[in-house]
Amino acid sequence: MSETAGLIAGILLLLALVIYVFWPENAFAAQRQKTQLDFLLERKEQLYENLRDLNFEYRAGKYPEEDFQVQRAHLEAETAQLLAEIERLQRA
Amino acid sequence: MRFARRSSIWIRTAEVLLLVVAVCFSLGATNAGARANNLSHRLMCTCGCAELLGECDNPGCPMRTEEMADLTAQIASGKTDQQILNWFAVKYGATVLAAPPARGFDLTAWIAPFAVFAAALLGTFLLIRHWKNSPGGTLQPNEVKNLADLDPTERAQIEKIRRDTGIDGGV
Amino acid sequence: MAAFGSFALIVALALAAYNLLAGSLALRLIATGQPTRISPERLADTARRAGIAIFFAVSGAAFALVWATFANNFSITYVMEHSNRALPAAYKFAAMWSGQEGSLLLWAWLLAGYGFILRLTHKKDVKLYAYAGTILAGIQFFFLLLLNFAATPFSLFPGPTPTDGNGLNPLLQYPEMVIHPPMLYLGYVGFSVPFAFALGALMMRYPGDKWIKITRSWTTVSWLFLTCGIFLGMHWAYAVLGWGGYWGWDPVENASFMPWLTGTAFLHSVMMQEKKGMMKQWNVWLIFATFLLTILGTTLTRGGLVSSVHAFARSPIGNWFIIFMVIVLAVCIFTYILQRDHLKSEHRIESLVSRESSFLFNNLVLLTACFVICWGTLFPILSQFVQGTKVTVGPPFYDRVAIPIGLFLLLLTGVGPLLPWRSTSMKAIRRNFVLPVFALWATVLVCLFAGVRPWRNGVFNRGDFYALVAFALGASVVTAVLSEFVRGARVIAKQTGRNMFSSTVQLARRNTRRYGGYIVHIGVVIVIIGLAGSAFNTSSVAELGMHSKMTVGPYTLECVGFTQDSNRDYNSEYALLNVYRDGRREFQLTPAKRFYLASDQPETIVAIHSVPAWDLYVVFEGTNPQTGQPIIKAFLNPLVGWIWFGLAVIVFGTVLALIPSLNPAATSPLASTPRRISVEPPVLKGGD
Repeated sequence: MSETAGLIAGILLLLALVIYVFWPENAFAAQRQKTQLDFLLERKEQLYENLRDLNFEYRAGKYPEEDFQVQRAHLEAETAQLLAEIERLQRA
Repeated sequence: MRFARRSSIWIRTAEVLLLVVAVCFSLGATNAGARANNLSHRLMCTCGCAELLGECDNPGCPMRTEEMADLTAQIASGKTDQQILNWFAVKYGATVLAAPPARGFDLTAWIAPFAVFAAALLGTFLLIRHWKNSPGGTLQPNEVKNLADLDPTERAQIEKIRRDTGIDGGV
Repeated sequence: MAAFGSFALIVALALAAYNLLAGSLALRLIATGQPTRISPERLADTARRAGIAIFFAVSGAAFALVWATFANNFSITYVMEHSNRALPAAYKFAAMWSGQEGSLLLWAWLLAGYGFILRLTHKKDVKLYAYAGTILAGIQFFFLLLLNFAATPFSLFPGPTPTDGNGLNPLLQYPEMVIHPPMLYLGYVGFSVPFAFALGALMMRYPGDKWIKITRSWTTVSWLFLTCGIFLGMHWAYAVLGWGGYWGWDPVENASFMPWLTGTAFLHSVMMQEKKGMMKQWNVWLIFATFLLTILGTTLTRGGLVSSVHAFARSPIGNWFIIFMVIVLAVCIFTYILQRDHLKSEHRIESLVSRESSFLFNNLVLLTACFVICWGTLFPILSQFVQGTKVTVGPPFYDRVAIPIGLFLLLLTGVGPLLPWRSTSMKAIRRNFVLPVFALWATVLVCLFAGVRPWRNGVFNRGDFYALVAFALGASVVTAVLSEFVRGARVIAKQTGRNMFSSTVQLARRNTRRYGGYIVHIGVVIVIIGLAGSAFNTSSVAELGMHSKMTVGPYTLECVGFTQDSNRDYNSEYALLNVYRDGRREFQLTPAKRFYLASDQPETIVAIHSVPAWDLYVVFEGTNPQTGQPIIKAFLNPLVGWIWFGLAVIVFGTVLALIPSLNPAATSPLASTPRRISVEPPVLKGGD
């Protein structure tokens, strides 16, 4: 390829990319602010995950009964609080 | 008394550890061939290949041949390993030693890793202890409430959580 | 083609500049909420599309360089210096990244590729992706700046066009070398993405820790590539350099190992953040450090700052990298100081003996190892600065300092998975540790019985001692991990009535990350056993005339011929060796030496016979000029094959960890929102 042909190809590339970048596109995705509810739902998912995990490890024999009760109560209390908050926000 | 006995055990353990470390750092191979091999792995080849003398694979490397000849001569002259290393450092410069000597400023090269490790270990211990002792940590067993003691809304909430996370459900 | 390539690079630079500036401006406008003539979201979207366009522009440039190499266009200096007409096609590709400018172009292209995917998948979280994309554009801008002004791949050869090129360095004419650099770079470059996300999340005060979930696969994939890159490099060193080893603690090797260590620490400690909202500041700094170390690594290689086996030529490009690192560090510190109140921990560690604290210790050890390597690599510079003389910090230093730390890490690899999350009583811990401790002592006994001697005639033998510790710890880690599998599988078998095998498969599929991670741990143990084998290496050298023999380990080598050969790429001489064991002829080896004509450089072709117990590794050292007979060096390297097998296990485990876990419905927010009561039976799921 000669240098002139190379330059022409380069300019074509430039044109194509400029058109792509500045094409008046109206269907772009909007930037949505994450709400408190989204955040709490994420947290809930994680707490559920932790509870399932605790339950599984208990069944696999990694926790004695007493430890398990304490840990579960702790996690459940936290989750219950979170769920109450989620419900409050969803009602509002 | 008990403290004295315990501390003497610690001192003795420390002595043993020191001895082990001293032994492991001072003793090496004994016969001439093995000594040459050992020392050639504690010296660098100076041809610019940045490899150990014993591992330089630069074909026809002039420095390797010269250094190996020096090494054989030095071993034959009955010097200790340390004397030989010193001799090499004088002839070829300090960079011929594959590891810095444990003296003067170079000693910091050896101390720093262990010092940092010890400091970090201690720091982590202290941090965890600090966290553990700060309020809001572990729930005590006597704080665990029976499900039946809770008020109905709370109980419904917890029961729902248990259902969702399979605690009382099984597969 | 040179004109097209240069032009494409300028276009890419302009696009990166636009993405960076318009992206920052748009995010600033959105954050402050100022009324503007043009919607800042529209502006942000053009910036994103400019980021996508960078990929096409850089691809154009990369294509131009490859094309020029294949077309033997020696008017381009880079092609002239790194290729020649006789070079086989696969190595013409490799020529693209065998020099300074080309490898930077590869770097920029891979970065553009990652950026392309990132910007295409922005709908997961438009705002976070806008931040990450803009930060990534900043990094791309720097590399494109280099390619346009400091290391131009398309500069023309001054004077008349040469008829042939200098050819590719023969050491690089090896299959691994075709894939090792791209793998390593995919790893290095990949860490830019989690870095951009972490910095972006911090800048925008992203609520929650979901950005970690979003970047998890990016981080894991980058880690996998970096791991593969490092191992391929080791294998290349082993098979090509001909000194019988695979790791020389060379600055360049260290440079790739440091981000691997911090990246590994990051992979572990983000689990604490995801699960419990802990260690947020720590994680942010870990990924900042990992990214900076990837840049430091390439600075060391390219700037000629430290002497190394495979450094590029000394060039002023190192200064560019140092300035870039200072800017990145300043941005990180500034953002951190402004936003650090956003990184409050939500939980505390409850017990010294818990999974959480084992992660802390794991991080501690990995970072100490990273510090030790960084310290050793930079100490010569420090020494020159302080006492005016340069010293060498070579393998003996690392062997003494890094091996004990590595063994400690191995210990944690086994202990960690056994500890439950949060805290537990000593009783439970004792129960979990019985088997692994038993395995440990049993292995010690077996090893002592099999002839591993930490004390030989009253003399302490460091190599044997480390090997013994490595074997024993390895056995205990494998036992610990297997017992985790068995315990979990038993629960599932009991619930579902399946057999143990399908329960184990089910277990792994339910939580791929956890059990994939465990398999990676087993792979690491296998690798370490292979490394420990080096304590028992033996070797011997002999000049072999026709039918003369030498022995190494259980093998006897007999020379049955040596000859010379030549083709248009190289001349070669090689020896033909019959290998006997217990008096029986087992196989034949042909170690060789090649002399490449274009570059006037020699290369060793090592003959390796590999069995699980050891490698017989034979090198053609040269010929004795007086007698004309070949000098053969033979090594017996125990357990080397385990290293490469361990890598395969690590890859398998990592790929498993990348597969999404089963039962996504159980974890989706829909399945259990308060408004919808789940009717399907609750699902049991092992967690991390």
